[in-house]
Amino acid sequence: MSDHLPVLLFLLPFLTAISLPMVGLKHREWCRPMALVAVSAMSVVSVANLIVVLNHGEIRYAFSGWAPPLGIEWVADGLASVMMVALSLLAVVNLFYAGLISPKLLGGRVVPYYTLILLLISALTGIIFAGDLFNVFVFLEVAALAGYALVGIGGGRALISAFRYLILGTLGASLYLLGVGYFYAATGTLNMADLAQRVPELLTSKAIVVGLLFMFIGLGIKMALMPLHGWLPGAYKDAPEAISPLLASLVTKVALFAWIRIMFWVLGAPAVVEHIPVLALLGVLGAIASVIGAFLALTQRDVKRMFAYGGLSHIGLIVIGVSLGNPTGFAGGVFYLINDAVMQTALFFFAGAAIYQFGARTIDDLGCLRGQAPWMTGGLIIMSMSMVGFPPTGGFFGKWYIILGALEAQNYFAVGAVIVSTILTLAYFIKLFECLFHKTPVPSGIYLGKGSLSLKVSVGTVSAALIILGLWSDPIVGFLLASALPTRL
Amino acid sequence: MLELIDSWFHRPNLIAFVILFLWGFYIMVTHHNLVKKLIGMYIVQTSIIFFFVAFSAKTGATVPILLSGTDPVQPETYANPLPHVLTLTAIVVQVATLGVSLALVASIYRKFGSLDEDEILKRSNE
Repeated sequence: MSDHLPVLLFLLPFLTAISLPMVGLKHREWCRPMALVAVSAMSVVSVANLIVVLNHGEIRYAFSGWAPPLGIEWVADGLASVMMVALSLLAVVNLFYAGLISPKLLGGRVVPYYTLILLLISALTGIIFAGDLFNVFVFLEVAALAGYALVGIGGGRALISAFRYLILGTLGASLYLLGVGYFYAATGTLNMADLAQRVPELLTSKAIVVGLLFMFIGLGIKMALMPLHGWLPGAYKDAPEAISPLLASLVTKVALFAWIRIMFWVLGAPAVVEHIPVLALLGVLGAIASVIGAFLALTQRDVKRMFAYGGLSHIGLIVIGVSLGNPTGFAGGVFYLINDAVMQTALFFFAGAAIYQFGARTIDDLGCLRGQAPWMTGGLIIMSMSMVGFPPTGGFFGKWYIILGALEAQNYFAVGAVIVSTILTLAYFIKLFECLFHKTPVPSGIYLGKGSLSLKVSVGTVSAALIILGLWSDPIVGFLLASALPTRL
Repeated sequence: MLELIDSWFHRPNLIAFVILFLWGFYIMVTHHNLVKKLIGMYIVQTSIIFFFVAFSAKTGATVPILLSGTDPVQPETYANPLPHVLTLTAIVVQVATLGVSLALVASIYRKFGSLDEDEILKRSNE
């Protein structure tokens, strides 16, 4: 029975998503409770799955009993199970929040709204567990299609952003598929474990190198690594307030996770192509992204765009972490990935609540929160501490392990990039707090009182989660080091 | 260098793939009309499907259908069926993407009354 847990994790949100349109015909108000029950059950199962994986080793699930190299395989190892726990817990918080802010702007589209969110979550589950390159492509596209529709669901300007996201996202997926084609043509297999045996000796083959490049560019668009990030700020800014946190925390991170899988589980960490270590190249890209992303965040006045660029710089930091090529850096990078997913949720919760309650879209309007929303301001202080990296929040420990890994690898360039990006992050949060505490805003005319208890609870929960991640960083990183490392690191 | 160019001309189907891909990409990047962008996107996707089919083909091979249940299977006489199966899935994904994108374009047109990108951006800023 316990072998079926990964599939159960996929089926829970997927079957609920399929049944929602039917239930929603008669009982529209049932959608939210049903979705919440499905993701809550999912988080319980994901914890059970993690415990099973810890005690009995990784689960390899062959669909319909077809043995792996020919059939489709799902792999639930330590890394995937941890990611799954983070994904399902974040999905619960996000769905809870999505119900608070949505109804006003959605009208009759509540049923497709919840259906799409659940489809997105089930597709992300598929990407995390997939042990097959083509399977990753299919789930990437399912997640992306749900994402395009969710960005555009509010109408208005968001439609344009959704269209841009669609054009670039589809180009990314096509390039990824092309890369998969090259890999298949060169090796005759698509299964990751099987590829891992054949690829290392084929690294001189042009087909493998070009295929790898195409896959990287494709996933790079999906994860919004710096030069390929064009779709992201607009999509996050124009997406409905309740959707931005979901996209920001989960979609890009899971695409990055898929790249980590290919990089470490298919290609192998020490891979060298034409005398250039692939990891070193990746580290340079990460460093560029982390510094330029933070710099661009500093130049923004729109709160959501600022946080979106902040997220881009953090993607860079994660890439630096995993590309250091030693266990400390890898565990730090993965820990930072989970931490960043929580941080992005928290920041966009704040931004969404500020727009919903006070109509504050730019940092010049933020002054109207002063003295009115102590919960939100307090939450924002914790989030900023985590973004900049003060103890005892998760952000500090993530950066700590990344820098430790960089020092271990004697990669002082990476240390410098992390520090510069940290200083720039501090700078844009100082700018934010300056406006919040000292600037007199132009009244927007929107003021919905002190905010409902549920809104306070959701902002409070994610802020508390940042501190919990910090306090528990030692066991989490210890676990990652013990059972989530790739074999050839 | 000459040998390289010569080897390209021995694989006309791959050249066709490259031309289709770049053509679609060019349309996607240069045109301002949203529907034309979609057409470019569709050509890019189709070119990749063409690529999958192209590399599964072999000289003198036939469709992968077993003609006799008793004779031993000879792989070299059949075209590789797996890329075709992947292609089917990719086509399904492509159709879904096209559906979503057309729905988006339709609602953009209803909202802003234009399909030209510059015109839409101008109207959305008003």
